[in-house]
Amino acid sequence: MVRSAVIGFFIAALALADGFTFNIGNPVASGDYRSKTALFVFRTEGCADPAKAQISGTAEGLIKGMRRSVPLNLAKLSQPGVYGVNKSWTADGAWVVSLSGTCDHASAGAIIPIGPGGFIRDSSKLLPHSPTNAEIEASLKALAHTQGEKQ
Amino acid sequence: MKFTRHISTQLAARLDGQLTAAELRKAEEHLRTCVRCREESEQVRSGMAIIKSLESVAAPDEIWSSIEAGFQPAPKRPPWQRQWLLAPAVVLILAGIVWWRSASSWIETSSTSRTTISIGNIGTVEVEPNTRVRVVKDQPDEHRLTLARGEIRATISAPPKLFFVDTPSGTAVDLGCAYLLTAEEDGSDLLRVTRGWVSFQWKGLESLVPAGASCRTRPKAGPGIPYFDDASDALKRALETNGNLTIILSESRKRDTLTLWHLLSRVEVGDRARVFDRITALTPLPAGVTREKALQLDHQTLDHWREELAWTW
Repeated sequence: MVRSAVIGFFIAALALADGFTFNIGNPVASGDYRSKTALFVFRTEGCADPAKAQISGTAEGLIKGMRRSVPLNLAKLSQPGVYGVNKSWTADGAWVVSLSGTCDHASAGAIIPIGPGGFIRDSSKLLPHSPTNAEIEASLKALAHTQGEKQ
Repeated sequence: MKFTRHISTQLAARLDGQLTAAELRKAEEHLRTCVRCREESEQVRSGMAIIKSLESVAAPDEIWSSIEAGFQPAPKRPPWQRQWLLAPAVVLILAGIVWWRSASSWIETSSTSRTTISIGNIGTVEVEPNTRVRVVKDQPDEHRLTLARGEIRATISAPPKLFFVDTPSGTAVDLGCAYLLTAEEDGSDLLRVTRGWVSFQWKGLESLVPAGASCRTRPKAGPGIPYFDDASDALKRALETNGNLTIILSESRKRDTLTLWHLLSRVEVGDRARVFDRITALTPLPAGVTREKALQLDHQTLDHWREELAWTW
C-alpha cells in the first residue's frame, strides 16, 4: 500500500510537471506595482513548486540583417513563479524575447515578439521545450517582415 | 481677437497691459458680467503680487532642467507672443518658489506652450498646451493635482496610491504607471494608459485601466467602461455612443474581456447572463468562479475572476 502511494505520488508529480508551461500577460496581471515599467509579465503554470523552477530569458534581435542576443534579468515579482520582463535592448530592429524554463523533469519555452505597443500576444509561441535557434529565427523573420525591416 | 465664453487665457495679458485697446474693452465688458473670470483675475493678480513680494532665491537645478525639457522650438511670432511663450516657464520657476509657501497655485499653459511639473521625487507631469492644472497637495505621503481642463502626461515611479489627479468627473489613482489624461471642455475626461495601470474612481464606481487601454469618464456619471486601444472601431463606437450590447458582445475578442468584465456589473440585470456567457465563450471559467456567484456580482468572485482574466489582456 505504501509502495502504491509512493508510485502514485511520483506519477502525479510527473503529470503535473509535464503540464509545465508559461502564461504571458499584461503587467496588470501581476498585481505588483514593480511591474509597471515591464513590457509584459509571465508566470509558470503546472509546476508543483514555482519558486524552484529554473527560468532564464534572452532578447533576440535582428538589426539590419545582423543577429544580436542580450541576456535578460528577469524581475521576480511578489507571487512565486511570476516575473516581469523589462526592455533592456536597443530600440532598433526586430526583437523577440525567448524564455526557457525547467521544473523537475519538465521543460517549457516561449517566444514573445515585441512591437511598438509592447508584446504581441497573437504572434507569441508557447513551446514544450526551450526555443531552438530555428524557431527564434523564424519568429524574428516574421516580425521583421511585418515591421518592414531589411534582413 | 475673438473671445470664447471665458477669457482665462487673456487675464494675465490684461493685467500686464499686453492687450490692444479693442481687446481690453471686450475683456472689461466680459468681466463685468462673468463672476468666474473676475475671481480668476483676482487669483492671477494675487499670484503676481506674491511673486513680487518674494525675495530672490536661486532655483534648484532640477527646476531648470525640467523647464528646459519643456521648451519646444517655436516659429517666428509677434513680440508680445514671444514674451508670453516664456511666461509659463517663468510662472513655473516662480511658482516653484510659491509652492514652498502655498501648494494651491494654478498653472496654465497657452495654446503654444507646455511645461513640466516635478512631483516630489516620484515623477513628472508634462502639462500640454491649453491646460489648467493645480498642485493641491505635495506631501511625501500624497501628491495630488487638480486638472480643470486640457491634457497632462504623468510618468510616476513610486509605490501605488501616492499620486492622484482630480478631474470634474473622477479621480485617477496612480498604481504605478505612465498615462495621458485629457480633460475636455464638456467636463468629460479621456484616460489613456501607456505603462502600468490606473484606477479611475468616482463615488464608489471604479474602472481599472491597464497599459494599452483607454477609458472615458463623464461628469456626474464617473468612469466609463475601459477598452483596449486595438479593439474594433465598432466596439469602441458602441461603448462611446449607444451602448449597443449586441455589437459589443459580437465584436469582443479574448482580450476584450477587460471591457466585458467591467460591463458585467454595469448592465441591466437581465443582460448579465449574456455578458457572462460571452466571457466564458472567449476564455474558460477559472477554478473558484461560479456562474451563480458571478451573476450575483459577488465581490470576491469578481475580483478573483478579474485577476485570472488579466492574464488574457
